[in-house]
Amino acid sequence: MAILDIKDLSAGYDDGFVIHDISLAIEPGEFVAILGRNGSGKSTLIKAVQNLLGNVRGRVVCDGDDVFRMSPRRLAAKIAYVPQLAEPIFEYAVEEIVLMGRFARQGRLEKASPADSAAVDEAMRLTEVGSLKAKRLSQLSGGERQRAFIARALAQDAPVLLLDEPSLHLDISYQVEVYGILKGLQKNKGKTIVAAEHNITLAAAYAERLIFLKSGAVAAEGAPGETISAANIREIFGAEVDIRENIRTGLPEISLAAGETSQRARPRDGRA
Amino acid sequence: MSRKTGRRLFWVVCLAACLVGFLLSILTGPVKTTPGDLLRFIQNHDRVQAAIFIDLRLSRAVLAFLVGAALALSGAILQGYFRNPMADPFVVGVSSGASLGAVIAASLGFEAAAFGFSGPGLLAFISGLGVVSLVYVLSLRRGGFKIETILLTGIAAGALASALTSFFLFMRSDSYDQAVFWLLGSFQLAEWRQAATIAPWFVLCFVAALWLAKDMDLLALGDEAAQALGCPVPRVRKAFLAMSALLAALSVAVSGVIGFVGLVVPHWVRILIGPGHRALFASSALAGGTFLLYCDLLARNLLAGELPIGVITAAVGAPFFLYLLHKKR
Repeated sequence: MAILDIKDLSAGYDDGFVIHDISLAIEPGEFVAILGRNGSGKSTLIKAVQNLLGNVRGRVVCDGDDVFRMSPRRLAAKIAYVPQLAEPIFEYAVEEIVLMGRFARQGRLEKASPADSAAVDEAMRLTEVGSLKAKRLSQLSGGERQRAFIARALAQDAPVLLLDEPSLHLDISYQVEVYGILKGLQKNKGKTIVAAEHNITLAAAYAERLIFLKSGAVAAEGAPGETISAANIREIFGAEVDIRENIRTGLPEISLAAGETSQRARPRDGRA
Repeated sequence: MSRKTGRRLFWVVCLAACLVGFLLSILTGPVKTTPGDLLRFIQNHDRVQAAIFIDLRLSRAVLAFLVGAALALSGAILQGYFRNPMADPFVVGVSSGASLGAVIAASLGFEAAAFGFSGPGLLAFISGLGVVSLVYVLSLRRGGFKIETILLTGIAAGALASALTSFFLFMRSDSYDQAVFWLLGSFQLAEWRQAATIAPWFVLCFVAALWLAKDMDLLALGDEAAQALGCPVPRVRKAFLAMSALLAALSVAVSGVIGFVGLVVPHWVRILIGPGHRALFASSALAGGTFLLYCDLLARNLLAGELPIGVITAAVGAPFFLYLLHKKR
């Protein structure tokens, strides 16, 4: 049975829907990447699935329960979330951030229990931020900060992990590092991972299934080898590219067909 | 020094300073008294001395402490609420709204009093809460509101209230002396009834703030992230806004608008003990109360007459604030 069952989901903000009638089933233990142009609805879908948006229609069932009818506290035990990287305002230490992941499993006035401390330590170990635990967020690099927030989501101890553009603003070495950690969580911990991602090559290297959104609807869906084609990229992104197989991994690789793209008028659609 | 040791040191220093502050407040005033007098009073319960020590001086010290604690807690809540260390009760319009009410009442000679509040105090309380409610309603959008909207609406409403305040001052310049009391704050009119009126509300807000302190930690890193971690964001936000407005409006109602405490005290405390809101709320209240106790001592004793306390809070607070900011870099 699907762990995330999305049925005819439309969602958006005050001024209307951004995604329209999306239906998807995500199986337990899957690693899924949601791809598409800016404004295609990737982040909207990630947020709507965990009831973070006010304007929704349709149904999302997670592990047998209707997401739109659950309290935040109960939902937090099922779905953990890594938001887009933002500038920290207050100087929390890494360990304090990770402990916040235990919120839904603690009483409001309770201090960290042994189970909480164990979960925090384990989350920091898996994301390799243990040595940084006393550091403030502002003292960390982008990659370290992203790992700290993944650790916070892990401390939540939920089977599903949703991420909103985890590679955004990161150098290529950190992108690989973050996705390597996610892959490890899928393989060793059985986590179901759904990540909105703008980098197709990165997603193809780690996810088993790609879902391409265009103007808020699913435009293509399937394994990287099936979905990444010159025709699909032209259709969805409006870019002319060449695709070939990586000689080592056999994964599809995108190379820009320079010159052909530069003169094409890019259709404007969507929002930032 | 770890944050835990720092926190303990902070509490010890603050508590000691607070006790000394109360003692000094009880011993100083127009009538010369010595520690010996105080000891003798404790043994003999002389009526005249009871009037001086308990009814005049202790009531004033208690009120100053309560107001300082309330303002600092209100500021600490709003800084977390807006994720902005520059926020204070002025940004949502409570302080400006309350000034307007007080000045209108003063210029119209509105004298009706209740619950230990004077006429202007009562009107200050009502108009302070009124302006926040207005700001809140104007900021509402379908599907909740954005904090940027409420911040900007609050600033606009505050500016409007200030303009009206100036207008009333200009039209009725004969009420100027009384208006200064409300615009810069003072504990000259302190009495036990006022302390008794605001104490239960302060305690209620204090306990509620501690109860929701973990939620505020989550909010500090984004509303969506907070909700995903299990915090019922809209309800928590409403509760915090109501608490901070009530604390600020009550403070203004008994002592006029005292600036800087709500902005500066939580900021100092955060630099010293870290951003965790449970410790921050409790420590801000203690430090704010202690700070205002000493400011009131200065206001009473610096010159022959009494200075408005708002002058002292800014004059003492600003340099110390700058020092801490630069030391941190």
